[in-house]
Amino acid sequence: MKKFLIVLLLAISPVKAEIYDIKQLDLGNYQGKVVYLDFWASWCKPCQESFPWMNQLLTRYPADAFTVITVNLDAETDSMHQFLGKVKADFDIFHDPSGRIAEEFKIEGMPTSYLIDASGKVVKKHIGFYTRDIEKYEREIEELL
Amino acid sequence: MQLKTKKVAGLLSAATCSLLGTPAQAAEGDWDVDTAVLYYSESDDRVQAFEPVISATRDLGNDESLSMKLVLDSLTGASANGAVPSTQVQTFTTPSGKDSYRVEPNETPLDDTFKDTRVSYSMNWEKPTDRNNRRNLGFNVSREYDFTSISGNALWQHDTNQKNTTWSYGLNIELDNIDPVGGAPEPLTDMLAQDKNDSDTRTVVDFLFGVTQVIDRSSLFQLNLSLSEADGYMTDPYKFVSVVDNTGEPISQLFESRPDSRSRQSIYGKYKKMLANKDIFTASYRFMTDDWGIDSNTFDFSYRWTFDRGFYLQPRLRWYQQSEADFYYYFLRTGDDPEYASADYRLGEMEATTIGLKFGRDIDEQQAWSFRLELYEQTGDSSPSEAFGQLTQQDLYPTLEATIVQFNYSFRW
Amino acid sequence: MKLKYYGLILCSALIASGCSSLGVKPWERELLAREDMLMDSDALDLAFDEHIYFSKEASSGGQGFAGGGCGCN
Repeated sequence: MKKFLIVLLLAISPVKAEIYDIKQLDLGNYQGKVVYLDFWASWCKPCQESFPWMNQLLTRYPADAFTVITVNLDAETDSMHQFLGKVKADFDIFHDPSGRIAEEFKIEGMPTSYLIDASGKVVKKHIGFYTRDIEKYEREIEELL
Repeated sequence: MQLKTKKVAGLLSAATCSLLGTPAQAAEGDWDVDTAVLYYSESDDRVQAFEPVISATRDLGNDESLSMKLVLDSLTGASANGAVPSTQVQTFTTPSGKDSYRVEPNETPLDDTFKDTRVSYSMNWEKPTDRNNRRNLGFNVSREYDFTSISGNALWQHDTNQKNTTWSYGLNIELDNIDPVGGAPEPLTDMLAQDKNDSDTRTVVDFLFGVTQVIDRSSLFQLNLSLSEADGYMTDPYKFVSVVDNTGEPISQLFESRPDSRSRQSIYGKYKKMLANKDIFTASYRFMTDDWGIDSNTFDFSYRWTFDRGFYLQPRLRWYQQSEADFYYYFLRTGDDPEYASADYRLGEMEATTIGLKFGRDIDEQQAWSFRLELYEQTGDSSPSEAFGQLTQQDLYPTLEATIVQFNYSFRW
Repeated sequence: MKLKYYGLILCSALIASGCSSLGVKPWERELLAREDMLMDSDALDLAFDEHIYFSKEASSGGQGFAGGGCGCN
């Protein structure tokens, strides 16, 4: 019942985020676009701080050239939904509760973000999110566009 | 000097952890505020204290924060002055030297001339130097009518093993000025002589080293080593040691005397584990030893029962035991001529047990409240083997019982 | 007395060094990130206790740094 209500809530809410299972993530689908790939979890404070900025990126840069994809690493699905009920996310979220993808990417800290160019090559990796580095992050994206 | 707040050895760690309760999910510019009030009350008209506290931590963004804390401490009531009870009425001179108070036969001599208010202010600033290193700098100022203290502290924390291990290095330097009412007495002189000197000073330097290690997803432990060196005026200017005659009756009171330095070492371990039902078990142990001959053991256990909607119930048990100082005496006999002597119960052989219950609610990330009730009982040897004559009928280490009540409310602003 | 203390230091060092194999992945800290699982949770209680026990007993301090937590950034 709870799951149904959550899905309904998400369907009717203005949040544009879609939540997918991690198995559905195929970076090949984003060839031709610059991708900002972010790994986050509900219990990670800097992750929460990065959301408003990541939402902004989607409005700032053209959707046909740039997108934000995130992987959520919450072991408990409820925690992820509770978080998304409080914090707006306009980007797609791939849920990886077992941490399999995080293991493959050898994530060293939370959050971790990768900047992937249009040809699918990983250009930059950032561990941690710092508001003082926002200009730097944006410059890096713009250089690829 | 009952519940005095002399910034003392190892308070660096308490200061650091009390001021930086690592607020979760705060955004830049937010203040995390903690307000609390403590009531402490000993049985038998002894010490009562009322202590409101307010502390606030501001998130400065990028893992930098600034914390401030203000403590007010109001003390009333009586405290044992170190003298032994007698079958006769006894009279003691008050610290000012201008007055006296009377103690009934067979009662523990208590000095109730203390009505003291202390104010203490601290500030701490924490900032990372890079992903795996943080430094914290702080200071504290504390003032009461006969005591002023200023201290500075510095802490460096370094992470390894993807932050599974944190190494902490701390330094605390404290300067105290002791200006006793009536002056600091010349050590081991007779109370009636009122041989007093001016104020005196003391310096305390603490080093702390700690390792925090994550064990698994639901448990971690911490191991700390600390060294403390204090130099200067260590004596309690208001306490006596009784000199007794060969029937055990006190015939004079001498002002106590302690060495002018104290070197302490301690090792502390703490373990925290969350169970599958989200209850939390915490256990800690501290061993302390010093060059005054005191060894102590402290065991502390708590279990947090977590309920729905953030409510919890947390019983707590603490057991403490210490050996007596080399210069601790229940009393002196005529002709005794020790270099140092103190009958202050706080330096005697004793054990103490605290049982407590905390009930509270973590409403959400932004608000929490709690209520804590604890009972403290401290017992020593009421009839030590040294006792003779009338002293065998007296309680030479009265049991101390105290009740502690604490309210806390925390919010984000 | 000194010997006992140094013995304890040695033990701690051994324990600490042997513990580098323990730990969790950076994304496995959901429980450790909780306020009530921080090493200095109940920090206010600790501060009050320190004050009370310092004035009634001969030992003080030596306890608790902040530690654990989400390990973020």
